[in-house]
Amino acid sequence: MEKQIAKFIVNGRSYEIPIEPRMTLVEVLRDELDLTGTKYSCGVGECGSCTVLIDGKPTLSCCTLAITSKEKSILTIEGLAQGITLHPIQQAFIDYGAIQCGFCTPGMILTSKALLDENANPTREEVKEALAGNLCRCTGYVKIVDAVLAAAEAMRKGGK
Amino acid sequence: MSQELSVVGKRLTQPDGVAKATGAARYTVDIKLPGMLIGKVLRSPYPHAKIIKIDKSKAEKLPGVEAVITLEDTPKIPFASSFRDLPMAPSGALQRPDQLIFADKARCVGDGIIAVAAINESIADEALELIEVEYEKLPAVFDPEEAMKPGAPKVHDYAERNIAVHVGYPLAEGDIEKGFQEADCVVEDTFFASKQIHCQLEPEACVASFDATGKVTCWSPCQLAHPCRRELAHIFNMPEGMVRVINPFVGGSFGGRLSISAEPICIALAMKTGKPVKLEYTREEDFTVLETRTPHKYSIKMGFTKDGTLIAMQVKVVTWSGGYLGRAQLAGGITLIWGMGHYRCPNRAGEADIVYTNTTMSGAMQGYGNPAIMWGVEQVVDMAAEKLGVDPLELRLKNIKKVGEISNMGLPIESTALDECIKAGADRIGWREKRGRKKEGVMRQGVGMATMTHCSGAHPLLLEHSNAFIKFNEDGSANLIVHPGSPGTHIWGTLSQIAAEELGIRAEDIHIVTGDTDITMFDLGSHASRSTHVTGNAVLMAARQAKGQLLERAAKTLGVSPDELEVKDRQVYVKAAPEKSISVAEVVRNAIYNFKGECLNISGKCSWESKWNCPPTTAGFAEVEVDTETGEVKVVKFVVAHDCGRAINPMTVEGQAQGGIMQGIGYALTEDFVINRDTGVVESDNFTTYKIPSMLEILDTEIILVERPDPKGPFGAKGVSEPCIVTIAPAIANAIYDAVGVRVKDMPITPEKLLKALKAKSDVN
Amino acid sequence: MSRALKSFEYFEPRTVEEVVRILFMYWGEAKVLAGGVDLVPKMRKRQIQPKCLVSIQRIPGIDYIEGDGAKGLRIGALTNLRSIELSPAIQKDYELLHEAIHQIASIQVKNMGTAVGNLCVGTPASDIALPLLVLGAKLRIVGLTQERNVPIERFFIGVGQTVLQPSEIVTEVLLPSPPAATGGAFSKLVRTATDVAKVNVAVTVTVTDGICQDVKIALGSVAPTPIRANKAEEALKGKKLDQETIAEAAETAAEETKPIDDIRSTAEYRKEVTKVLVRRAIEKASKRAKA
Repeated sequence: MEKQIAKFIVNGRSYEIPIEPRMTLVEVLRDELDLTGTKYSCGVGECGSCTVLIDGKPTLSCCTLAITSKEKSILTIEGLAQGITLHPIQQAFIDYGAIQCGFCTPGMILTSKALLDENANPTREEVKEALAGNLCRCTGYVKIVDAVLAAAEAMRKGGK
Repeated sequence: MSQELSVVGKRLTQPDGVAKATGAARYTVDIKLPGMLIGKVLRSPYPHAKIIKIDKSKAEKLPGVEAVITLEDTPKIPFASSFRDLPMAPSGALQRPDQLIFADKARCVGDGIIAVAAINESIADEALELIEVEYEKLPAVFDPEEAMKPGAPKVHDYAERNIAVHVGYPLAEGDIEKGFQEADCVVEDTFFASKQIHCQLEPEACVASFDATGKVTCWSPCQLAHPCRRELAHIFNMPEGMVRVINPFVGGSFGGRLSISAEPICIALAMKTGKPVKLEYTREEDFTVLETRTPHKYSIKMGFTKDGTLIAMQVKVVTWSGGYLGRAQLAGGITLIWGMGHYRCPNRAGEADIVYTNTTMSGAMQGYGNPAIMWGVEQVVDMAAEKLGVDPLELRLKNIKKVGEISNMGLPIESTALDECIKAGADRIGWREKRGRKKEGVMRQGVGMATMTHCSGAHPLLLEHSNAFIKFNEDGSANLIVHPGSPGTHIWGTLSQIAAEELGIRAEDIHIVTGDTDITMFDLGSHASRSTHVTGNAVLMAARQAKGQLLERAAKTLGVSPDELEVKDRQVYVKAAPEKSISVAEVVRNAIYNFKGECLNISGKCSWESKWNCPPTTAGFAEVEVDTETGEVKVVKFVVAHDCGRAINPMTVEGQAQGGIMQGIGYALTEDFVINRDTGVVESDNFTTYKIPSMLEILDTEIILVERPDPKGPFGAKGVSEPCIVTIAPAIANAIYDAVGVRVKDMPITPEKLLKALKAKSDVN
Repeated sequence: MSRALKSFEYFEPRTVEEVVRILFMYWGEAKVLAGGVDLVPKMRKRQIQPKCLVSIQRIPGIDYIEGDGAKGLRIGALTNLRSIELSPAIQKDYELLHEAIHQIASIQVKNMGTAVGNLCVGTPASDIALPLLVLGAKLRIVGLTQERNVPIERFFIGVGQTVLQPSEIVTEVLLPSPPAATGGAFSKLVRTATDVAKVNVAVTVTVTDGICQDVKIALGSVAPTPIRANKAEEALKGKKLDQETIAEAAETAAEETKPIDDIRSTAEYRKEVTKVLVRRAIEKASKRAKA
């Protein structure tokens, strides 16, 4: 199959990339754009490690054909910090010990961002419901929820 | 031993946090090298088959394919993926090497037969499809008890009745027959501990590249990089100095990366093509091919006197190995060490048969046999308590070991706080109020407990050798060169805190240099909960040496003797007159840029060999709710009390314990490794079919750190991580019994099994 | 065991007519792509290998939830599960559908998956099919030369099989106005929250003066398709709702199941807990009917 040029808007920048329809978004991000922060883990949409935000919504990039996300606004983990200033969610994950091996972390942080953008003051239960599609094998989840609640508080107080 | 500590014991953040939170951290799967090829493996679709003919000609001709290799293209040096074919233990015990880089006969579904390297993944996939393999299917056996029967298919020619090895309990003691005769209360039962999959989120992968001199660099998530280097050198008949193993960031290990898997094939492809090769497993490959936790079926017999003293204990284990031994041999033997070494008992005997079957290999996972055996031991203790009419908590308090008694590995116990863990945990779960409550209604609650003992490194059973090198920089920071691996357990932060405390600087002043066997000195690596305690001691001693040099130089400048000095928070000061001080940075700089003929880069190093074992202990308490109409179990609350000696970083220990709870809940209730009994195909081959707990399965948890510093640990620290998972499953089983009066002894306790057991009980009634 | 998909022809038409025409051209060798969260993994695992994918993502005007309890509801083909979950009209007047979608744990799956896409997969475990079965939904099916409304209870014909012809596509779900004095309940049993159901159940009950005027019981994961427990429904209709009648209806419903053993559960267990889930759902639905 011949490749066609498609336009991708990733982390606010535009890219023209030759792709085949069969390529998934996670492949394009990792292999064509060298944005390896988005992880490939299960390939069946079950673990959430490949989560990116497309038009603000948590989406499984391993189940998304790249061609269907052309011209949409895609946010990967690399696009979250402002230079060296971390997003409050990233800072909270670090401060609360919510990162161990770190492989689930990009997906967790992005799904958390989508939650807090929609609901600035979630309960513990609401955080767990929002993140249920992101699996972690290291942390046992507790500190991740602690971190998201702390980030929510920091963001309400004015960090953005 | 109380000291005022400024860095150790603090809830500091991790040095690798920013890299991971921003996506900058590169794992093996993220590595790209110029000219890199993609490797793929053709694996046996059959559980047991002779390989009659391989036709790779079509694949080789496919444009973009640069190599198609078979067993004939590799050195046929048999090896053991566990590294135990080479000396690693003071006892001299070796494991029989029963693997080759490619299978000479398919012994399980997923056994690697051929590999290709191509310019991209699609072409590699296509090449695999073009390879023609003629197999002669052989009868296969999937169950160890079936495998031991006469006439069962033989997995390896040498193993009669498929028994790879018979292992006796090396610390047997007393007279077991007499012990049971003298016992007033004997309980015996059989248990099955299941084949749990690590489910580390980073799939298994390896990148290998040869340079012009013939030296190979191998990027791997392996946990034991230096022993891995030795094994790879052995497999490829190369000197160790020509093999370089690099650990990038690692996306979870849990013992699954102790053994090698992708590395030999990846190196073979790189060797053949002369180009860098990346071999990355699909998740299905990962779940089908990698060594899982070793399953065992075992019987436990425990004899107590009527006052509740344990006087006899016997364990007989059938260890379910796969098509190759991997770490199953050690796993089988070590269940005896754990199971019979936890309680005080004068008469102990045990044995294990390690049995081959045509299934996925079995190996090590968090706890390495301890979770498997304590699943049964702690239930038998509860059964005995019921028979004796005593509180199972009191029965345990009576029989747990004290300081000075001989530990599970045969050395005197340096410290233990298990008694306090039991009492603290019981208090937090509400043991007295909730245990043995009247049960009525459809939803029934219950509480249960379990205890365990682990190790801080496996001395004297295994080599316990770690090295640390510290060098100061001109700004007063220090580089800490160590190689505990990158397991994601916060070990770099822990070691930084130990170094910083001793050196008198801040944790953020420590730069960790790690992960490259060309640079780091030998460290056994990350396993047996050894890194905090053993590598930690190496770091402490290296720091002590560096501090000695620092104080000696500072003493000259300040005009005092070194023992009048102390260093804290980046300043060296005279103890009696603290205003007389000099910064660490200045001392270091003056020594490097020294114009008095006394140049020195202040540093310290230590080759450390652990002479002690210092077992950590934990007590776990579960509160469950059982739906008696559906058999579903909710773990309402789980409390872990951890006797870790000293929590170098309390946030780290909590995190390990919370992770252990999640893995233990999965082990107990939802994780089921399923093989199709006709085809041998692994049906639980992804997260859709094999279910690990999500956030919604984890309800209330509480971690209690009980710090009774160990005299031999760095700042009193003992091993941290593996103890966390061991009590979870048996505590849940005991809580279910408290709730509904039935036991499911065959893991996992699914609602299907529990409901059946409940119905059987009510039929009897 | 691969990570890459195989090649296929790809189309992004702008109208439903174009979709249907392409489906006709590729007769049986084309698949419709909506969210892709079910299709893409199956293609990666080579379980499905279509020659052609037709995306409906670029067709304007098919992502909608229109209407309410008074007029009836229409859900478009591209409407994702998350927007259905958040819809005020559905939360208010079609609580049962909201309840079922809410219990799908992964927010990513709900963002990507569509209700219509979920139905067209044709799995007996569909959490969407069950509430639609008891709410009396119809599916609008558009083909090359005809359009038809098919009641959902006639839509599924086997495991992974629906009445859709190779050149037909479902364009919307139509829900009638819910009857008065009716309550609904949905529940499912899973191994973990992010799992496909091992047994799932949806019930609506219409109650006046403690008498069951109407009851609809849909069962999932216990037969080759989602089914209605017709015998159980007949047995309960017109009867006074009490512990005995409800238990009897639940038993009858369990007898109507034909479950299998699979990796999630056993036939024996599924049959047994169907009784429990149906009983509890009827009790819950009756309480909600009275409220």
